[in-house]
Amino acid sequence: MTVIETEPPVAATGDLSGEAYRVAMRRWLRANLPASFRSDSAAFSPPTLPQSIAWEAAMYRAGLAGIIWPQAYGGHGRTLREHLIANQEIGALAMPESVNSIGKELAGPIILAVGTEEQKRRFLPAILEMRDIWCQGFSEPEAGSDLAGLRTRATRSGDIWRINGQKIWTSGAYRAQRCLVLARTGPLEDRHRGLAMFAVRLDAKGVRVRPIKSIDGRESFCEVFFDDVEVLQSDALGAPDEGWAAAIRVLEIERATNRMYRAWRFENELRHLIAACKSDPVLAQLVAERHYEVRLGEVVVDIEVLKAHVETAVDALVNGDRIGARGSLAKLHWSEAHQRFAALTLELLAQASLPLQPAVQVARRRFEAIYLQARAETIYAGTTEIQLGIIADRILQLSKGK
Amino acid sequence: MTLTGEGLQPSEFAVTAARAVADCADLSLREQARHLANDGLLGVIAAHDVGGLDLPLALAVPVVAAAGAGLLGFPLMEALLLGRALQESLPRTAEAVVSGEMLATIAWQGSVSAAREGDSVVLNGWVARAACTREADCLLVRIGTSGAALVSTNSNGIVVEDAAGLDLAVPEHAVRMEGVTIPAANILPENTWSVLCSDANVLRAAAILGSAETCLTLAQEHASTRRQFGRALSYNQAIRHALARQKLGLEGIRHAITRSVGDEAGALQRDAAFLAAGVYGSAISEGALQIHGGMGFTWDVPVHRHLRRVRALQAQGDASGVLAALGRRYVGAIAPASDVTASR
Repeated sequence: MTVIETEPPVAATGDLSGEAYRVAMRRWLRANLPASFRSDSAAFSPPTLPQSIAWEAAMYRAGLAGIIWPQAYGGHGRTLREHLIANQEIGALAMPESVNSIGKELAGPIILAVGTEEQKRRFLPAILEMRDIWCQGFSEPEAGSDLAGLRTRATRSGDIWRINGQKIWTSGAYRAQRCLVLARTGPLEDRHRGLAMFAVRLDAKGVRVRPIKSIDGRESFCEVFFDDVEVLQSDALGAPDEGWAAAIRVLEIERATNRMYRAWRFENELRHLIAACKSDPVLAQLVAERHYEVRLGEVVVDIEVLKAHVETAVDALVNGDRIGARGSLAKLHWSEAHQRFAALTLELLAQASLPLQPAVQVARRRFEAIYLQARAETIYAGTTEIQLGIIADRILQLSKGK
Repeated sequence: MTLTGEGLQPSEFAVTAARAVADCADLSLREQARHLANDGLLGVIAAHDVGGLDLPLALAVPVVAAAGAGLLGFPLMEALLLGRALQESLPRTAEAVVSGEMLATIAWQGSVSAAREGDSVVLNGWVARAACTREADCLLVRIGTSGAALVSTNSNGIVVEDAAGLDLAVPEHAVRMEGVTIPAANILPENTWSVLCSDANVLRAAAILGSAETCLTLAQEHASTRRQFGRALSYNQAIRHALARQKLGLEGIRHAITRSVGDEAGALQRDAAFLAAGVYGSAISEGALQIHGGMGFTWDVPVHRHLRRVRALQAQGDASGVLAALGRRYVGAIAPASDVTASR
């Protein structure tokens, strides 16, 4: 495994709070994030998997992962406000996405909510230490947005479950150790009832992973086939009929809190775009014209509104309020605003003068990738149409009746 | 309930304000002023010395939102801001505004020139977007690029033009000033004016929030009860998604306002709240009009009156100019990229 030389965690960060905590996190990130990881740097070179694992493990040791998880399971036992502060600092730097976000932001919180004590002790530290990378086995060919159509089956005999079926759009399955599999224990007619969750080892006999080449030319998501895969009862998460309902409650909060750094990363991208434009004589002139002042101003307002969604949701959670389906609002706003911004970056950078300035080349490389990735943002984690449906059904509670 | 005590919650302000606004429906402007003052609503942010409650701007937000929701035909935002802006230099006037004895307004567009003559200042120029000036006792006008002047509307040389603007309940006036002489003491410093403008952006956003919330409620109600093709309109996904987008916008306004009055908020957050309110508020009220169909154009349904108000507030706060200036400041504050690392 690649070793990333990082400074040891800041001494006694456990005692820090508020601004002192922010400063400590900022200082550590800026001192330790390798230039080659920074997509706004000329030295950028996408990290290899071992490099990503080493970096994320170092982030965890520095207090930047598992922030609100209990210390008994390897977490740092901090508050949601500190989670917000850390994410603001993470977002402010052009850092690669986590290779284990499913472990940290989906599987982990679900295990915390429905897992047994043994499962919490076994799975959670392994996620934070990056020994186990997780992927998400929810979607299927016949069950994309509509998980009630799920066909993968789990049948039990004694302490052994047998899983048969197929998952698709499973991001990162080729590099994962565990898959959070949603499978049906009852008949298809049960729809949302009879769904159970399992922590399936991807090296288990009968698991086959087939990568799919995607929009960015890379093989990021996969099909995963399960052919009579044996899973021990100790790897079943929650009771068969209750697990999914519990997971839904967790996911409701998760949708509002996961990838909390997004608003600040968005701001980092906007600042990078403007800085790159100002290094080019033609673009510098363009961004000083009223047309682009207004267009960039609109992006600033979008980002401020996004921050407002995130910060007020954190306040609500800290005050013990139920936030219900509010996460759908932030996700919907972010994904659409980010797509508008991504299109603007292409439009601006296409007008650069020749020969291309080095800073413009760096920006083009970053923003062309962001533009393509952004097209997925209105699809994954619940499409725009699904989010609008959730808002109409659950927040507005509009009548569907005749 | 009358707002006089300490420790009041925003929700209490909202309830008191909503009731007071409803009571104002058939009253003259002066009666409204006294009525609102009696409930403590004109002095929410003004100092105790001038009869105010001396509370932070955040607590004026539910009051102005309730006024927006109820289509109050009174320049409430102006009274709130002037009660505080005048409390240092013209405390008696501030007190009269807070107590509802004096009707005061602000010209949000244009500026006048000011020439000092002994203890007096002579003003010349054009201002506009001044709510209810025809009936107001005094008017705050911008001087050139620094400071503002409080002018008595019965001064010689003042000509109030006919009402104009989309909002019929709160008509806006343009005012011509030809050699209007005022005491030098009526000049307010630049800082007072800039704070007032910045706070006005938050309160405009609050007024738009009230209007937008009402429009969405009306649209939702109409979509649930109006039947076409044998079903409620809300059965249709096109209608459901349209309403969901309106809700997204509404919560965006609400949270942006909350953020703009937070401890760490500055000019950027206040401008953003106003700009977001203008964009989403227009979309929500226009969307509500669309969902109401022909009914939305009648005087029986208040949706178009909210739309008129939202658009008037957006123009009054010079949303386009504020947006361009925000973009200019943001771009201007960022250094060109070196070829090693860029942002921050």
